[in-house]
Amino acid sequence: MAKFMASAPILELRGIEKSFAAVRALRGVDFDLFGGEVHALLGENGAGKSTLIKVVTGAHRPDAGTLTVGGRTFGALEPGAARHLGIACIYQQPALFPDLTVAENIGLRLEGSGSLRRVDWRARERRAAELLSRVDADIPTFAEARSLSMPEQQLVEIACALGAGARILVMDEPTASLTRTEQERLFAVVRELRSAGTGVIYISHRLEEIFALADRVTVLRDGASVGTRAVGEIDEAGLIRMMVGREVNQIYPPSESEAGEVVLSLEGVGCAASGVSGISLEVRAGEVFGLAGLVGAGRTELARILFGVSPADAGTIRMRGEVATIHSPADAIALGIAYVPEDRRQHGVILEMPVEQNATMAVHRTLFPGGWLRPRRERSLAAGFIKSLSIRTSSPAAPAGSLSGGNQQKVSVARWLATKPKLMILDEPTQGVDVGAKSEIHRIVRQMAREGMAVIMISSDLPEILGMSDRIGVMRGGRLTKVLPGSSDAHTVMSAALGQAANGGSS
Amino acid sequence: MKLYFREVSVAVALVVLLGALAIFAPAFYQPQPLLSLLTREMPTLVVACGAALVIITRQIDISVGSMFSVCSVCAGLLAASGWPLVAVLPASVAIGAVMGVFNGALVAGLGLPSIVVTLATMVTLRQSLNLMRQGEFVNLPDGVQWFGLGQFAGQWTIVGAALLVLAALGLGMRHLAVGRFVYAVGSNAEAARLAGVRPRLVTFLVFVLMGALTGLAAMMNIVQSPQVQPLSGAGLELKVIAAVVVGGVAISGGRGNLWGAFAGLLLLACVSPALTHLRIEAYWEKAIQGAIILLAVVADGVRMRKEKS
Amino acid sequence: MNSGESRRPGWKSLLLRYETLLFVVLVAEWLLFYHFGTTTNRRGIVVGFGTMDRQFDILRHSCEIGLLALALTPVIITAGIDLSVASLLGLCAILFGKFHFDAGMPIPIAIALTLACGCTGGALNAALITTLRLPPLIVTLGTYSLFRGLAEAITHGAVTYTGFPSSFLALGQGRLLGLPVQAWVFLGIAAGVWLLVHRTVHGRSYRAIGFSPEGARFAGIPVGRRLATAYVLAGLIVAAAAIIYTARLGQAKADAGMGYELFAITAVVLGGTSIFGGTGSIAGTLLGVAAIAVLKNGLATLPVVIRMNAAEEMSGLMTGALLLVALTGSIVPGLLSKLRARRQPASPTPVQDPA
Repeated sequence: MAKFMASAPILELRGIEKSFAAVRALRGVDFDLFGGEVHALLGENGAGKSTLIKVVTGAHRPDAGTLTVGGRTFGALEPGAARHLGIACIYQQPALFPDLTVAENIGLRLEGSGSLRRVDWRARERRAAELLSRVDADIPTFAEARSLSMPEQQLVEIACALGAGARILVMDEPTASLTRTEQERLFAVVRELRSAGTGVIYISHRLEEIFALADRVTVLRDGASVGTRAVGEIDEAGLIRMMVGREVNQIYPPSESEAGEVVLSLEGVGCAASGVSGISLEVRAGEVFGLAGLVGAGRTELARILFGVSPADAGTIRMRGEVATIHSPADAIALGIAYVPEDRRQHGVILEMPVEQNATMAVHRTLFPGGWLRPRRERSLAAGFIKSLSIRTSSPAAPAGSLSGGNQQKVSVARWLATKPKLMILDEPTQGVDVGAKSEIHRIVRQMAREGMAVIMISSDLPEILGMSDRIGVMRGGRLTKVLPGSSDAHTVMSAALGQAANGGSS
Repeated sequence: MKLYFREVSVAVALVVLLGALAIFAPAFYQPQPLLSLLTREMPTLVVACGAALVIITRQIDISVGSMFSVCSVCAGLLAASGWPLVAVLPASVAIGAVMGVFNGALVAGLGLPSIVVTLATMVTLRQSLNLMRQGEFVNLPDGVQWFGLGQFAGQWTIVGAALLVLAALGLGMRHLAVGRFVYAVGSNAEAARLAGVRPRLVTFLVFVLMGALTGLAAMMNIVQSPQVQPLSGAGLELKVIAAVVVGGVAISGGRGNLWGAFAGLLLLACVSPALTHLRIEAYWEKAIQGAIILLAVVADGVRMRKEKS
Repeated sequence: MNSGESRRPGWKSLLLRYETLLFVVLVAEWLLFYHFGTTTNRRGIVVGFGTMDRQFDILRHSCEIGLLALALTPVIITAGIDLSVASLLGLCAILFGKFHFDAGMPIPIAIALTLACGCTGGALNAALITTLRLPPLIVTLGTYSLFRGLAEAITHGAVTYTGFPSSFLALGQGRLLGLPVQAWVFLGIAAGVWLLVHRTVHGRSYRAIGFSPEGARFAGIPVGRRLATAYVLAGLIVAAAAIIYTARLGQAKADAGMGYELFAITAVVLGGTSIFGGTGSIAGTLLGVAAIAVLKNGLATLPVVIRMNAAEEMSGLMTGALLLVALTGSIVPGLLSKLRARRQPASPTPVQDPA
């Protein structure tokens, strides 16, 4: 855009290359950022976005290429040097010190590196309070960071970046765990920064955010820059085309199954500790029940109640008509409930263990009667899933961590399909998964329904909810506020999630 | 204050114990035996200060006992060969620091787990010492005991020096940036790196400091008797870790402070004399110390659970 | 990963390589001592390392530390640690003596009760670690003091139980089918633990928990219960070690096994079990125990060492050095697999056309 081109960019990357072992993560990327613009960085998982921003923040040292910051050219940056140059980064997972207070978390980031200077605790408190109020966060400065919620931690991160007087701000999927209002607040802060002349590199998987916020967008593919466009000159389809190299129509496989008997029925189920209450619903065999809502609406918490991770303390859970008490995952498994968790790397698979052992982990009791391992049975079961779910792995014995995100997710799904569940709960099954794997997972979900499973699918991806669900439950503030037909439009679901037309509860 | 729950509760336990002694065994408060008790514990205090730092960085050092013995014997031999005390003291500190450099290089440099590294150095150092000395005592020349100051002044010197070390480190950890870096590294090393702290360097330096403090403590110990025992440091590692943990330093790093460690040390140290004065048989000492450690961690565990729910 | 290894998981093949290396070291060690430590005395009788008696001695002396190492291996695989094993050994030895002499129980009942006490000790650790989620290092540091302290309190720090019947002492001093009796006990327990760790769902769960306790919980593995079995089993094996120890020495004292925990941990780590949990094997532990035992006994037969009268110290020194070398060497495969793990998720995955 002309207004940027007039001045020199505040950050200029030329020919950045970076390899890990034999893999070239970045192959000669050029990128520039002007003061006062929001420049979005887009690409599939593994396209090299994270590597690129780590080069900018000094966390990675590039193998070749140059960085020019404020007129000075470098071959590589150190984290300290990057900070001095006014580069700040807000990571997806806030990197706070859990044992230290909020004030100290901010202080450690912002104070100089002199190690023998005296710490001025009062000044720390004052500055922290001032910065937190600028991001409109109501967090006591003396609270320990471990006691904060994820969005609160993110706000502390943003306060840090503000305090650093960052001229270049990198935001790596900052909205992934924010509620709508927090997201709006964040956008306001970003816009304020932009008008003050800060350059913002903004990474997100959500296209609508890019259109709402960014001025320009650069698309990365396979470690190389595909191109940079002004946001006004391109539409969603065009961006997707750039990302995957061809047009991908987000076509969802059609629903083919008939809803059968009631598998799960809940009456006034709640759990005080996880802030969920009064949930009543029925899910039938062969149907995909989409669970929509904002992050923090209580969807994952409800799933964890059903899976016995945080047991219910109110209401009645019935599985196929019989009252069920679920106090542990083992109880849930015995009842035919399966849960593919949201956090794949922490909960979904054990990265260091082989694919086959991950796949059989939930069926120890049935696959290995008497507790003795049967490697051949395990191998054949795993091989079956590798084939039917087309899991791309070098071998069933390869560690799960060596697979791509989408394939790890399929391993996690395989583990639960192996239990032959009556009820399958999928929590954000396609989050952070590339486009190809995403549609494969959709196909698998349909397959589950066709085989007569009741499927509850939690997703924050609205098109996915709309495209996949037979019925849509909307949660807000720990309650199920609406159950809508699968044919509802995006506006209805969204306004229910936001509580705008909320005049009916779940009764 | 909630943040200092543990330090306060240990201090309260200590006060209760001292109060009980005041009522049931006032003999405990005779000044000379009390001063002697305090003096005996001072080398442990200095080592515990180092151990607290190591644990705050989320590491552990179980080689301190062996390092302590090595420093003691080396310092004793140097003194016996005619070195003046002013030279022996820095030599002892330097020997400790060199061993700390070794541990620190393996842990911070190569990224090896500290518990195994220091287990290995513990065994190696102890057996080297045994091999060289065959359990022989070192006789110290005149003028070494109590730094040649006489018992009373010597005892006060040791107590004063140890408390000075405690105060300096305790205040430094709170009020100097580098002290906060130690907490930062223990709490989240990656975040510390992003904040411009160099976690490996900090960890390395903490291990070196641990070694140097052990050298100093060894010096404080050998001047208390006319001979140096080659096994004087045996079991010291678990004693200091126990004191530090009872005092509220979390083994998971980033939490706790030296004042708590001091209180924990005094509490454990008072068990033995308290038993004697309260006419409970002394062989219960170890069991009671174990029970105190367990009680402290159980209290923590219960509190954590309550906070969560 | 090349196709030749495809039937074996990556970490396991690395481990196997490590164990092979350890085995080679062990054989080399043995040959060295055989060569330099065997001499013929004036009367023409072969003495030193090369004799059968010496080999049996090695077996006899490695049984107790070997049992402690076996007890520790599952615990360390779960990413835990148990510092209290040697103290519990002392306590169990004392309790055994007390049951037999003070309570007048016959040996078999005393043994059974002692084993039960070992389990109870392990259960105490387990309860604190699993129900309160406390770090094992600190809990077992506490019980390390507690168990030894109780042993001292029971004996008033002075009582030693001696005068066990000779039928019992045979357990620690006699031979059965050509081997020392306790070697059979040791081999039996080793086989049991091997089966448990490598051939059962329990062992699989230990690894899963060691790698990722949360991941294991979300897979429906009863993490608390599984962890508890590892510590209780450790207590049971320790109690068995205490009985063998008492039978070998013919006496039960409160300081029985003092310091053994460090040798046992050394043996386990030397055997390739990661202190961070997840990886490890019983074969490795056995090799680690053997390497230490051969070293200790072999050194005692070297003329140089005999002249210096320093067998104990030399062996300790060499063990420590060996551990340092093994540790430094151990980061090489770790670095390799880290590179591999980092490489693969970064590689672009082919995008499939949605049908």
